[in-house]
Amino acid sequence: MSATLYMPIPAIIERIEDETPDIKTFTIRPVEPIPFAAGQFVELAVPGIGEAPFTPSSSPKISDFMEITIMRTGRVTDWLHTMQEGDEVGVRGPMGRAYPIEDFHDREILIVGGGCGVGPLRSLMLALLEDLHHYARIIVRYGARTPDSIVFKDAQLHGWGQGDALDVMLTVDEGAPGWDGHVGLITEILEKDYLDCHASDGIAVMCGPPVMMKFGTDKLLERGYRPENIYLSMERNMSCGVGQCGHCRLGRYYVCKDGPVFSYAEVQSNPRLWDD
Amino acid sequence: MGPKGVKWTIGVSSSLDEVMASLAGEREIYALQDTKNGHYQFSKSTTWQPGLHTLGDYRQTEPLKALFFPAREFIGKWKEPSSREPMPERIVFGVKNCDLSSLAIFDQVFLHGICPDPYYAEARQKTLLVSTDCNSQLDVCFCPAVGEQPYATEGFDINIALTPLGYVIESGTDAGEKLLESAQQHLEPANADLLKSLQTQRAGRYRELVELSQAHGLEPGTDYRTAIEASFDSGLWSDFAEDCVECGACNFICCTCHCFLLADGTDREGTAARTKLWDACLYSGFAATAGGGNPRPLRADRLRNRFDKKFSYFPQVMDRYACDGCGRCTEACIANIDIRDVLRRAVDECDALHAHSSDHRAN
Repeated sequence: MSATLYMPIPAIIERIEDETPDIKTFTIRPVEPIPFAAGQFVELAVPGIGEAPFTPSSSPKISDFMEITIMRTGRVTDWLHTMQEGDEVGVRGPMGRAYPIEDFHDREILIVGGGCGVGPLRSLMLALLEDLHHYARIIVRYGARTPDSIVFKDAQLHGWGQGDALDVMLTVDEGAPGWDGHVGLITEILEKDYLDCHASDGIAVMCGPPVMMKFGTDKLLERGYRPENIYLSMERNMSCGVGQCGHCRLGRYYVCKDGPVFSYAEVQSNPRLWDD
Repeated sequence: MGPKGVKWTIGVSSSLDEVMASLAGEREIYALQDTKNGHYQFSKSTTWQPGLHTLGDYRQTEPLKALFFPAREFIGKWKEPSSREPMPERIVFGVKNCDLSSLAIFDQVFLHGICPDPYYAEARQKTLLVSTDCNSQLDVCFCPAVGEQPYATEGFDINIALTPLGYVIESGTDAGEKLLESAQQHLEPANADLLKSLQTQRAGRYRELVELSQAHGLEPGTDYRTAIEASFDSGLWSDFAEDCVECGACNFICCTCHCFLLADGTDREGTAARTKLWDACLYSGFAATAGGGNPRPLRADRLRNRFDKKFSYFPQVMDRYACDGCGRCTEACIANIDIRDVLRRAVDECDALHAHSSDHRAN
């Protein structure tokens, strides 16, 4: 990657799909394939405007294009949301440490997503689904603010629920007419009544807003998950992506090169882990 | 020339200016210039200029890092591969040990990381470093308190020390050894008296700096890492943050602060381009994430982070402090925050805590 250490390569936005009122999935095709592993991230640039880190939501088996699911929440994402199919962006990566899915073999895997955090988890899901026989069982628990703000509601998420291999449950913080699913916080559907799991040796993977990950982690620990088996995608201001610029330091780690995926055991001693 | 490790002095019929001119050759020169107000600054030149250029008695105001990690570095235009001119061969005269030692931090970040920075690598490769012993010090200096000393023991190509009996010149690298050959006609082996004089002088200078550090409550060998890590919930950070105006001067002037920003914009023709700029962790937006999150919302958090990075993070990843005791931050702070006062308070509080818990155990 040294030729493009700080400069992205061009990529064309091939497709833009509305997920929710403030979340879109962009399919981008870079001029050169970018092979990545689930959990790794890329820096996506709007030329002349700025750059921000995103984890792809598409299958890591595909490297000539990638899908990135983006919530409109800041300067760069505001710009991205005004862009059209055929427009050009820049991309650098992949960066960081992926989910250690080899270590997940023969284990029960609980995937806990909140809001737009389900993007990176979709990439992981697609990787796991390719080799379903490797895993004892896959459970998905996903929480969104409202039925409207559920990401991937039409295709992928419902597809994940088909068949006996997967146990999928959704919840929304606030219901709406037509919603017949659960209403309540994500931590509720991690309780015994809604989640039958082998916590003591199961893997839990979580991605979502910091406050959701904080209370979600507490709940998983309470259920008996071991700190080293809880994998978190930490959110920090990753900028250079190669452990130099200093923005994303978290204790003794740089989230960009040592993360973004960390086990809770690795980061739990950090006194201000969730403050952002 | 003789075997590496031989120490030289300037021959009776030669002058320092002649040696400097020989060493410089055709290289681009950075030498110190006395600003006549108690400071030195870098002077860039194509030749060594007698009367203007000096090796200096103590470090210059701007950090050495600026020659390797420029404050503003053009990265490139969108879709146009960078057509940067190759860097000329350079030589820096009068580097002091605090600055020389700081390059270990930059090497760790920009050379030994997961993705070496080719521009930094080129700058390192094309720059010869001629260091000089400190012959005096500034009131803000405290290098012995962080494990350094006012003379270089490694990392230099050539070191030149001025003693009361004359100069002592030695090479520290093969490149330095080769360079000394170009000044051979001006050099002769240093005699035992000269070497003894050097030893005495270095010991004396070190002792003076230890006393200066002690006058500010800092001892060589102090465990700052434990103290800073123990200070997380201390009121010291909000106390010092009351004065801090988060101007970032301490970051920019620091000989080890390496953080930067990739700034995107457009040039006059409207072409998108990217520039690498020094950044400061004291700025409120430094660690902010999209959507308004900020791991360090308070100035006290950011002030603590700066010390945490220098005295906890770097000891963990490379077993050294990211502070060489140059005192530039103290000099630059418009709120008069003295880094020695911050460290001393953290150490004192940690000691007090320790004494307190020992009392409990004794009871």
